[in-house]
Amino acid sequence: MGQKGSKIEVTKTDKAILQIKLSKDELHRYTRRTEILIGREREKLKALLREDPKNGKKNPRARILLKKIHYQNHLLEQAADQLINLENLVSTVEFKLVEQQFMMGLKQGNEVLTKLNKEFSGAEDLMDSVADQIAYQDEVDQILSSSVVGGFEEELDRELQQLDQEVNGPAHEPAKAEPNLPSTEGLPALSEPEAEEPQQEPQSDGRQREAVLT
Amino acid sequence: MTEKLPPIYNFPPLYTCQPNVLIREQQLSTWCDLILDFAKTNNAWCMSQEGTVIKDSESSGQSIFRNESIQRSISVPFRDQIWNKMVQSEKAIKSNNGVFFILWRSVDYWSSQILQWFETTGKVNQVVTVYELLEGDETLGWEFHGMHPSLCEESLQKLRDRGRATLLKEQNKIMGVKVV
Repeated sequence: MGQKGSKIEVTKTDKAILQIKLSKDELHRYTRRTEILIGREREKLKALLREDPKNGKKNPRARILLKKIHYQNHLLEQAADQLINLENLVSTVEFKLVEQQFMMGLKQGNEVLTKLNKEFSGAEDLMDSVADQIAYQDEVDQILSSSVVGGFEEELDRELQQLDQEVNGPAHEPAKAEPNLPSTEGLPALSEPEAEEPQQEPQSDGRQREAVLT
Repeated sequence: MTEKLPPIYNFPPLYTCQPNVLIREQQLSTWCDLILDFAKTNNAWCMSQEGTVIKDSESSGQSIFRNESIQRSISVPFRDQIWNKMVQSEKAIKSNNGVFFILWRSVDYWSSQILQWFETTGKVNQVVTVYELLEGDETLGWEFHGMHPSLCEESLQKLRDRGRATLLKEQNKIMGVKVV
């Protein structure tokens, strides 16, 4: 029992609310009882008037009954007012509890926020340093890209062309243009291709040497 | 009060204790059903041993064990047998002063109904008095409205055993409950 009871905490406010509610219940019970009483007395009065329609109005008992009913009605109104007061009190207390929770939440949120903000104290230096690093990176990038753009590209083009010639044969391009050319029949053999080859060789040799050097 | 009961209620042999065991068993269970039916249609939470409905701690109306229209009534020993059967089959709880709580719904059903009320009306984590729960305006229209406080206590104990409620006592009497 103790174990299960301790699971749910019963605070002082809970007990206070219970007290308020108990008195509220008492008032509720009272109003109910009075309502029943008034109803009964009204019935009695009606019966009295019905019994003696002529003298009923002058009957002192009828007057007393009516007075009683009025008095009870008055009490009932008072009780209803008090009931509303108590209900208001209960809801105010309950609202205050919610507000308390709200305050606690706010407090905790604030604490966490300040703690997090503390961690951001070096943020400006960090941002400056990051900006510096980015600027340096840009510089390095520019240097690297400009150095690549030098004669290296041309060399690449040349090597590509050479490879193309090796793979597809030196007659690759001329073969395409052949149909437009005049017939070579009957002409003496050309010594041009032979002369061209020695011209190219030193170039490739030079490049090989370059490659070795690098 | 007994008009709405099924026609078997006007069957004369039902009022004499049958000697055959099998038939008597049948008879007893018929009586149990009749009592449950009776309690449900009259919204009766407690009945006296004599078979009358108890409201506001005073018994009123006629006994279920006496049928005026066919001029029959049940003998005292057989009546006690019926009550025994009711208690055994958990359709009734006998309280200290010879009053029976009729469980036309099980205690578990009531406790879950109460829990449901707490949850739908947002009363969770608030203190609510037993009176408020049973007689207050906020439970109007719920089945447990008007329930007998002792029976309500029984249902609340179930909730406490499940760890969902704490019972607040005042002068050694359970007055309030807090549901989580």
